[in-house]
Amino acid sequence: MITPIELFAQQAVNGLSLGAMYALLALGFTLVYGILELINFAHFNVFMIGSFVGLIVLQALGIAGQSVVLHGAPLIFALLLALIVTMLVCGILGVLIERFTLRPMRGVRGPMAMITTIGVSYILYNVVLLATNAQALNFPDPLATQDFDIHHVVIRAKQILIWIISLILMVGLDQFVRRSRLGKAMRATAQDAEAARMMGVDVDRVVSTAFFAGSALAGAAGLIFGLYYNFTQYSIGYSAGLRAFTAAVLGGIGNVPGAMLGGILIGLIETMSSQYIATKWADVIIFSILILVLVFKPAGLLGALAPNRS
Amino acid sequence: MRPIPTLTARRRGFLLIGLGVILLALPLLDPNQADIDIAANCTAYSALALGLNIVVGFAGLLDLGYAAFFAIGAYAYGILASYQLQPPWTPDWQFLADIGFVSKLTIEGNAVVHFTFPFWLMLPGSALIAACFGIAFGAPTLRLKGDYLAIVTLGFGEIVPIVARNWTSLTNGAEGLNGVAPPHAFGYSFGINSIPYYYVGLAIVGLLLLVSVRLRDSATGRAWMAIREDEVAAGAMGIHTTRLKLLAFAIGAGFAGMTGTFYIAKLQTATPDMFDLPVSVMVLVMIVLGGMGSVWGAILGAVFLSLLQSLFLPALNNAVQGFGALIGSGFLQQLQITSASELIFGIILVGMMLYRRQGLIPAARKPPLLTTEQMHASVTRGAIDLPVHPARHARGAKPDLMIEGLTVRYGGLHALKSISMRVEPGQIVAIIGPNGSGKSTLFNAITGLVKPFDGSIRFAGEELIGLRADQILKRGIARSFQNIRLFPQLSVIDNVMIGQHARLKSGPLGAVLGLPSGRAEERAARVRAMALLGMFGNRLTPRADQLVSSLSYANRRRVEIARALASAPRLLMLDEPTAGMNPAESIELAEQIGELRALGLTILLVEHKLDVVVRLADHVIVLDHGDKLAEGKADEIRRNEAVLTAYLGRAAAHV
Repeated sequence: MITPIELFAQQAVNGLSLGAMYALLALGFTLVYGILELINFAHFNVFMIGSFVGLIVLQALGIAGQSVVLHGAPLIFALLLALIVTMLVCGILGVLIERFTLRPMRGVRGPMAMITTIGVSYILYNVVLLATNAQALNFPDPLATQDFDIHHVVIRAKQILIWIISLILMVGLDQFVRRSRLGKAMRATAQDAEAARMMGVDVDRVVSTAFFAGSALAGAAGLIFGLYYNFTQYSIGYSAGLRAFTAAVLGGIGNVPGAMLGGILIGLIETMSSQYIATKWADVIIFSILILVLVFKPAGLLGALAPNRS
Repeated sequence: MRPIPTLTARRRGFLLIGLGVILLALPLLDPNQADIDIAANCTAYSALALGLNIVVGFAGLLDLGYAAFFAIGAYAYGILASYQLQPPWTPDWQFLADIGFVSKLTIEGNAVVHFTFPFWLMLPGSALIAACFGIAFGAPTLRLKGDYLAIVTLGFGEIVPIVARNWTSLTNGAEGLNGVAPPHAFGYSFGINSIPYYYVGLAIVGLLLLVSVRLRDSATGRAWMAIREDEVAAGAMGIHTTRLKLLAFAIGAGFAGMTGTFYIAKLQTATPDMFDLPVSVMVLVMIVLGGMGSVWGAILGAVFLSLLQSLFLPALNNAVQGFGALIGSGFLQQLQITSASELIFGIILVGMMLYRRQGLIPAARKPPLLTTEQMHASVTRGAIDLPVHPARHARGAKPDLMIEGLTVRYGGLHALKSISMRVEPGQIVAIIGPNGSGKSTLFNAITGLVKPFDGSIRFAGEELIGLRADQILKRGIARSFQNIRLFPQLSVIDNVMIGQHARLKSGPLGAVLGLPSGRAEERAARVRAMALLGMFGNRLTPRADQLVSSLSYANRRRVEIARALASAPRLLMLDEPTAGMNPAESIELAEQIGELRALGLTILLVEHKLDVVVRLADHVIVLDHGDKLAEGKADEIRRNEAVLTAYLGRAAAHV
């Protein structure tokens, strides 16, 4: 018999795994918003594409269906390859989207650039919808049997894997933004693009980098989605994207640590509300949080770092 | 891209009448029920597009959950005109039964209420209900910047179908409402005959078209477009931006609500998936295709996309599959082009944004070209021949503007450190100081654009801190901006008329009803705006209908001054008015500013050109690093050692 505390701890474990995925996805929103002050709706479906790329790589390695279970070096090799290819493909996709559809829109006032990202998102969504005949596809589960049970709280190996991947990527991004030359250029551009340009910052390169990094992380999140839920579908981008955006706003949009914190919180809120209220209302609860944050604390928990355009 | 030739009013009239006759006669020309049904659906989508056009096209607010309001209007009628809700009958229902809104049913021996709200009442009723939801959801978020609205509406658009799916007792869940009553008129039920629905749809589109056009051409429409172009400047020109954004949101929601009722009455059923995200995106694609802000464009886009889905794609599908059968290609025979319609929507969105942002029918009419004579005419000096400063406020001994201990902080930086100063009525006070000394921050604090940390700003005895920018303008303070914040995609005359926004009394309702008083006020506002432009001779008058973005830099500065004067201020604040002007133009403008003072206007001026300052200012205040360094008469300031050091650098001071 599971005690209420064990149940809560189990949901916390699950929430942390979901939250890590949302955090990775939220980082992409926050990077692009911080620099261009643009909500990138294409990001929703770059994430979805990521899960399909991951699926294709794993299938190419012969890991199709959920009966194939790997151990040791082959497992690490397969997952690492899937992660790297997924991140690269999504990163390049993000850069191409920026280069060919958003760069021509730069400096155009109003919602035009946002509408363009909606169009791109819709194209990605429908291409996959048509290509997969709107079917959900099985996602391999090579870590299926390796679970740990601590006082009735099951921690699955793949949850640990998700934490490790997310932690490495998030720390890597944080260090990159803080320490590298390009990271410094990114922060400068986020504060004042015009001044950064005058100081010799190649703003186009900074924007490309932000799209590459954000989209690569979305790809990683897509792969994690597949591994976690053991399926993928053309429609997964929408609700995950909305949650991740809520996470970015909750943490403070434009703020890299904020996106991580927001992601974790949203993941926890989702599992807790599914457990203690009802799964069908989880979307409504998360959306209400978005509204409440926007109304009462629009700068988010850690403070928004939006560009200064007066 | 060839611009669409502008039609003369006469030709336009003929064209409209011709179009109207064809539309009215359509059921006679084409008696096929299926075709009329498609036409009726076209009217519903046109009505939806007209509503979203007000939100996105006029006010520039991206609404991605528009279908939610369509759903609210649909369910409002669906629930109140079907067997979905059957509360037990009590005598309290009798008065509703008497007017035909409910009837008494006996099911298995129990008396229950059957809702039979009339369709004709629910058309405006649903518009009102949806508008209320629009206000409820818009109010918390419209205070924020526009981008957030997109994501909030996206969420809202998701929530409403979820509620419709899960609140089964009210909506019958995913199965949807059934048996929604069709409209009745003169004892005749519309049933499933498409023709009456087509005419009702035409009437709705006609009504919404009229409302859209009248709003567009009114002070309300101008204010929306000002917000779309530059929200900060719109606020500084006296527009209550939150209220107007909310109004646009509510009107758009109202259009969608009314259309929802029409659509559901026609289908006689409502399911949650009729209102999912793809519907919102489709309506957005309609107005992007037609041209954002373009009323006729919205209708064209709606009709085109409706026909694309119901006629063109199926026809193409058959043709391709037939061709596949002919050449024996299995691939072509299997191809389902109809299922690619959403992919086509995405391609249209991206393609239009990249290659024809203004849409098929651009909202902005091509401004008339200047004649060669007008372009090469020698410049004339205008005169101010109108009471810019109506003597509505007696000038007492009270100082007009009194600032005490004003402190503004940006994070750790003190942009202004406890500044005190006063501006006497009828004076010209100049503020000078090096870049970064706090001059523009001072202007922004006075006009409500930055929130001071401490201190007080009193104008004619009234505290300004805590007021919104538009409230401060209404107190009689108007300004220009250092980096010029006009509304670039609006004409010169529209820019100046927006300056009068706070003075105009007729509201959106008057504009929709076309009240004569409102029209007279519009005419007077136009005359007044032209008179203000006349202040600058023939520099601006011939260019009144040109877009501001086509003007020279110096002329933009002049338009900005005319726009500020249009609000009939008591205190005019000019931030570097002569920047970018040559010496002759600067002196001309300085003389004109002097004339404004002669009319009784008080003027606060930030200026870098010392000759202009010396010529104009009664009093000079020097700021440096947020401190007041010195103040006094212009001549004294010019000799002040500390000022010379700060302003010109120490070396120059000792030359």
